[in-house]
Amino acid sequence: MKRWLTPSFLLMLALLAGSELVVRVFFQRSMSGRFEYGYSPDAGFVENADGTVNLIRAGGRPFFPQTFSRTPPPGTFRVMVIGDSVPRGASVATSYAGQIGEKLRAMGIKAESFDLGIGGNGSARSEIILRKALDYQPGLVILHVDNGDEFEDEREYNRAQAFKSWHPKNWLMKSLFIRRIYEFKTEDIFWKWVPTEVRTLTAVNDNGSKALAGQDPETRRRWDERVRKNTAEGVALARARGAKVLLLTEAREHEDGHGGFYLDDRGLDDLVRPMPGDGVYFLSMKQILQKTDFAPLFSDGTHLRPPGHAFVADAVVEKLLEEKIVAAGK
Amino acid sequence: MSFVSWQYALFLPAIVLLYWQLPWRGRIFLLLAASYFFYGMWDARFLALLLTTTVVDYFGALAIAGRRKSAAKVIGIGLLPLGWLLGCLAFYTAQRTVAEGIIFAAAAFPVVYGTVYHLLWRLPAERQRRAFLLLSLGSNLGALGFFKYFNFFTGSLDALFAKVGWNPGWTLLHVILPIGISFYTFQSISYAVDVYRGVAKPSDDFFTFAAFVSFFPQLVSGPIERRNDLLPQLEKPAQFEIANIHLGLRLILTGLFKKVFVADNCALLANYAFDPKTALNGPWALLGVLAFAFQIYGDFSGYTDIARGSARLLGIRLNLNFNFPYFAASPSDFWRRWHMTLSFWFRDYVYIPLGGNRHGGLNTFRNLWITMLLAGLWHGANWTFVLWGGYYAALLTLYHATPGLRRLAEPEKNPRWKIIFGVALMFAFTLVGWAIFRSKNLEQLGGWFAAFGNWHATVGWTKSFYWWLLHVVPLLLLQIASWKSRDEVEFAWFPWPLRGLVYALLFLLVASSVAPDVEFIYFQF
Repeated sequence: MKRWLTPSFLLMLALLAGSELVVRVFFQRSMSGRFEYGYSPDAGFVENADGTVNLIRAGGRPFFPQTFSRTPPPGTFRVMVIGDSVPRGASVATSYAGQIGEKLRAMGIKAESFDLGIGGNGSARSEIILRKALDYQPGLVILHVDNGDEFEDEREYNRAQAFKSWHPKNWLMKSLFIRRIYEFKTEDIFWKWVPTEVRTLTAVNDNGSKALAGQDPETRRRWDERVRKNTAEGVALARARGAKVLLLTEAREHEDGHGGFYLDDRGLDDLVRPMPGDGVYFLSMKQILQKTDFAPLFSDGTHLRPPGHAFVADAVVEKLLEEKIVAAGK
Repeated sequence: MSFVSWQYALFLPAIVLLYWQLPWRGRIFLLLAASYFFYGMWDARFLALLLTTTVVDYFGALAIAGRRKSAAKVIGIGLLPLGWLLGCLAFYTAQRTVAEGIIFAAAAFPVVYGTVYHLLWRLPAERQRRAFLLLSLGSNLGALGFFKYFNFFTGSLDALFAKVGWNPGWTLLHVILPIGISFYTFQSISYAVDVYRGVAKPSDDFFTFAAFVSFFPQLVSGPIERRNDLLPQLEKPAQFEIANIHLGLRLILTGLFKKVFVADNCALLANYAFDPKTALNGPWALLGVLAFAFQIYGDFSGYTDIARGSARLLGIRLNLNFNFPYFAASPSDFWRRWHMTLSFWFRDYVYIPLGGNRHGGLNTFRNLWITMLLAGLWHGANWTFVLWGGYYAALLTLYHATPGLRRLAEPEKNPRWKIIFGVALMFAFTLVGWAIFRSKNLEQLGGWFAAFGNWHATVGWTKSFYWWLLHVVPLLLLQIASWKSRDEVEFAWFPWPLRGLVYALLFLLVASSVAPDVEFIYFQF
């Protein structure tokens, strides 16, 4: 008579269980917050025993890897940039977040700057990052304000809530090992090997839903209101913790129908303009870029090329000097 | 309900556990209820159609065998579709309704069918047998023709008449194609014909017969089972064997691997290459059709494996439907390996009744062409499917008429390099066939051929090709390893440590590829 559990079946179970154990012991950190979809309070921040903090590519929050001390070195002006894929850029070095530190140091100012941008993060998820970032005592927080990611914020919030349930559709992904394999395949193979055109076609429904939602004036009004509320809350929080805040509103490039381009702030400048006050400053990307031939600075109408980031970084540094937040040579 | 869903992951174990606790009669009722629930999860209204064809075929086959049932029984069972629709009315909301005309038709059905049934019994014996066969064929083909081909033929005729300046203005109906109709109608037809030919006995028990027609593992996409293969297994209580559970689970795992890992990932590339907005070039035309070849194979043979595995868990064997089709050395070899139950169906119920190859020469080719054109049309209401059938008819004709090609299809007479060349050549022919099959219309097909005139390298092609390799190579390795056993998923001869490793690997490959809501291609047929 045959046995219920064959040796090969038992070996399969042992391999899967062993792998799960290994991932839970050795890779827990890189998986943190994966299924909180960006709503985890501390995913991606790793505090080390030696007093340093690592920003890592956690499953739930793929920061560019960076390291800083828990408290800024004495006399060092710390800048943290929080926002979506636009401030994030293609790398820390070429993003305006990274460039600000470079430029300040070139002027003899002891400064360091960090890129905390995450693609697709709207105002709610940016505020959660801000709360954690304030633990590391930045002298200045630059909040990159945009209203183009609120759809993603809502969708990911719903996903995070759905995943908390014990619905059978979530069972497979409750395994950290399977999540890790899934993530590896998605991020390291699928995103890197399959061209954007092909991936866009498969994501057509998601993009379609976003476009459709964005056409509804009531939805747009609701999104703007949420951006205003979350940004105001973030500003109040930062001020209460002693950090200065620079609100940098995003602008996008559109064709004007006559072979040229124009910049559109999508109402963000008006939304943010009433907020500045003591220790709170405002810069408009639209006003910054209008001073130059901006078209070559954009890669796709939304995202900036490295020279665009450098141009914005120059404007930010100029603003910091003008407002006497920093002083050259100090 | 899809095989690749959390619902099915709960449904199947529950049914299997319950099934083995019940006596034989209870199992039949459980299978019937489970099958109707499985189908009803898609759209419960169409169960009335399934019930109607079941009623017609049940009484029809009995009548063909000379066994008459009482008027009360005919009308009583004939009331089931109406009862079902009224039940739907009671539960449905405004999003899904049952049209008044359908209710009227279902109400008239027991009366009309009961009358026809008793009138036909007045005919002389042989004419009566034939009349009941025609009634059964008519009801199955009528349902198939109406739901699947009505708009296709009226639309095509409209277009044809418009060319000669006449606009008959036929209205296209918004008909929903009931999933699985092509499969269960063909299964019912084979049942009636086999009884008529005297090679099979009709089922005397309505519920067992209804379970045969609607058996959930193979209801919506086959394999298309014959009366003598499936019904005897339902008529006798199966003995529980642990080996069946092992094989069933192995089949389900490999089926999921083929569907979720191979097919759904190849679909990304195929969908892009065959998207009307894509500016196609040679490399992408080639990659697109290669991806589609493995998408459709993984999708359909994966479905079949899951179906066979699910049935095995219930102690029931379903027929093999795929047998290494891309290792075929000729078109006839391909059709002995691809969707085998459909190929054998067309052979037994179309090609041979037309005369097969008995009268030689041109008659054989005529029968071949008719069979293949119908087989093409079976796949869908589109001229590209007819063209696909015609393409295979042309290939079969070419291989029959060319001695050099015919010899390539005889592996026992050829050295290894010739066998490999024959398989490669047939695979190339198969790819052209898939391009015809996948194209939405002739214009797109023309674009696919024209793309081969432009071989400029395109961004993303090389890495996309790697993506394709990543998902196809594991399948090919598994197939090569299984070749010895003559069953695509039978690798029981592996030493157990290797088998355990393969199971774990297959499970991980499936788990790393789970994407929501990707339907099986053959549902639409």
